[in-house]
Amino acid sequence: MKGLGKTLILLSAVAACLSLLIVCDATATSASPALSQQQKLKLGERIYREGILPNGEPLMAFVKGDLPVPGTAFTCISCHLRGGIGSIEGGVYTPPTNGKTLYQPLKKIHKGVEIKYGEDPFRRPAYTDETLAEVLRTGTDPVGKILDDVMPRYLLEDEDAPLLIAYLKSLSSEFSPGVTDTTLHFATIISEDANPADTEAMVSGIEKFITDKNGMANNYRNVRTPRDRMMAKAMSTSKELELRKLTLSRWILKGAPETWRRQLEEYNRREPAFALLGGLVNGDWQPIHQFTEENGIPCIFPNTDFPVISDTDWYTLYISKGFYQEGEAVARFLNSKEELLQDTRIIQIVRASREGRALSAGFEETWKTMSHNPPLTISLAKEEQLSDAMVSKLTAKEEPLIILVWDGPDSGRILTALANGKNKPTMVFASSSYLGKNLMTLPEQVRDFTYLSYPYRLPQDKVIDPMMGKAINFQVGDNRVAQQTYALVLTLNMAVMEIKGNYYRDHFLDAIGMSMDRVVPLYERLSFGPGQRYASKGCYIVQLAGGENPQLVKRSDWVTH
Amino acid sequence: MKLPFTRILIVVAMLACAAAPLRAENKPYKRTVESYSLPDVTLINQDGKKVRLQSIMQSDKLVVVDFIFGTCTTICPILSVGYSNLQRKLGPDTNKVHLISISIDPEHDTPKIMKEYLKRYQAKPGWDFLTGSRSDINKVMYALNAYIPNKMSHYPLTLFRPAGNNKWIRIFGLMNSTEFLEETKKAGLK
Repeated sequence: MKGLGKTLILLSAVAACLSLLIVCDATATSASPALSQQQKLKLGERIYREGILPNGEPLMAFVKGDLPVPGTAFTCISCHLRGGIGSIEGGVYTPPTNGKTLYQPLKKIHKGVEIKYGEDPFRRPAYTDETLAEVLRTGTDPVGKILDDVMPRYLLEDEDAPLLIAYLKSLSSEFSPGVTDTTLHFATIISEDANPADTEAMVSGIEKFITDKNGMANNYRNVRTPRDRMMAKAMSTSKELELRKLTLSRWILKGAPETWRRQLEEYNRREPAFALLGGLVNGDWQPIHQFTEENGIPCIFPNTDFPVISDTDWYTLYISKGFYQEGEAVARFLNSKEELLQDTRIIQIVRASREGRALSAGFEETWKTMSHNPPLTISLAKEEQLSDAMVSKLTAKEEPLIILVWDGPDSGRILTALANGKNKPTMVFASSSYLGKNLMTLPEQVRDFTYLSYPYRLPQDKVIDPMMGKAINFQVGDNRVAQQTYALVLTLNMAVMEIKGNYYRDHFLDAIGMSMDRVVPLYERLSFGPGQRYASKGCYIVQLAGGENPQLVKRSDWVTH
Repeated sequence: MKLPFTRILIVVAMLACAAAPLRAENKPYKRTVESYSLPDVTLINQDGKKVRLQSIMQSDKLVVVDFIFGTCTTICPILSVGYSNLQRKLGPDTNKVHLISISIDPEHDTPKIMKEYLKRYQAKPGWDFLTGSRSDINKVMYALNAYIPNKMSHYPLTLFRPAGNNKWIRIFGLMNSTEFLEETKKAGLK
């Protein structure tokens, strides 16, 4: 064993020497044109986030000793996350990698908490540019300690290492706007014409959370003995909040949506918020989404049925995809019924409205990814009715036919006309959200062939705690905005604790991304994950039972693929 | 011509760096032999096709199963790099092994996301990523003594099912590529 140890030490020494050789060699050959600091940071960011080198090639690495990996599959961001503060997942602790932490001596850590006292509380001295490049290449830290072998050893050339290192130095280097020595400031965006009851439900829910949290922090501050204080600190991982009061302001938007951006920029200039909580506007969320994306401000669970659908945008976390998700659910449901689709015509009737467009987009885009031909679309103008001639044409033949009715509360009229046609369609789909309160009064004669997208937990279903297997009673109220605000508060409560005093906006979103799935009354499951931006991913397909107060009968799982 | 010299140095450094971690405490994995019977569930693969899990098990191939999810940060990338390297090391013998990854985030892991994930890990045919309803996936996790109520508290597990056998080899922990290949051979790869 001794011989093996010597050999390995020798190999490591060779590795270290070779790293130096690479440095010397590459220095000699480096002839890249002078880059601005901004350009360097952008290139460093690309290495950190995507594992792509300035020459467009993937950064190569090894994990577990001998597993070669392209950096694109094993980027820095994979484990250290976008904010660079690290993570704990699956029992693996990933330490911070922002320059502010790397260029300071690191205290010993026990279960993620710094050990501040004792003879030698330091795990390693501060990195220098040289020792940092060394540890990235060989996994050997400045005191010769070898990092866990799940940390890739990156094959960084001399001209690339400084780019990554410069980026790490800039990463989470100063607290984000909205943070002062005494406050952590949030805001909520409300348009002046938003529904007053919904506004009250949302604002009161958020304000109650803030009051409670500040009350807890106040209690910690006012404990009488050092022992009580120690106990209070030990009981809370949010002890950093002891130093900062949470505050909330309302950013009220007035006038036309075209003018919102200017108003938002002004609010942001006057009183920058660390993050935006909830939000309620009478109109599209898109202008606000764009504002948060371009200014890098997290926005958590705005109350909108019309979110921006994007695989890559970062700053807004929606509770669901809204109407789009219902169209998506219908496409997935139909796709799972292979036997139904044989020689079946699919037609969608789309009302010219935001709801109609979002529902049909959700269906069409999902349907396309499943390699189906697009459905035939019949567009209805705002007040237009489906003509008798069109109903006759649709129902003339005895053939398998599926019709999607993306229409509003008066959908019953179209559904009845189809039921009275010469041949009833095989199935008709509609959105329960777009039907609104008319959902439960759909005529009896249409209920046997009408299937409805329903993006919430069914009213008759109990909330079951997945860990305990028991029903949970929630007292949240019937107002949907109050329910969504409850989900926001649960998520926020966890996030302000988990960031552990690292008040960086990207880290705040990282912390939410790493949080456990949640059970709430309104949705079967809220789930998170790095980069996931729609927390509720399900939607039932249901039918109405008979009678005056019909039950909703499930025809699908919460999520269908 | 300094560039080729740099490249040579990098390759040598790669080999040296690869050896260096052995100096670190090599975390051992735990290997046991278990007896499991799988539920009769139908899952969905990365192409959106329905796959009956028991049909996979009836094949004459060695089957390897792990549990991952598309946005996982730490463990899954290592498990998946292990799969892709095994395929690379096996070369033409890849078709003797059926690698299965089962999603523990089925709400998010759609066929589209799973397909992109496999592409990122340069998966070859013979590696399928399966999703499905949460209840079906829970049944599979229970059957394989791998139940994870919440994806953020998952753990590294690789299960080998030798062809025509109801015994499973259960590996708890992370393997490097040499260990993975050895275990694959021990599990009956000829």
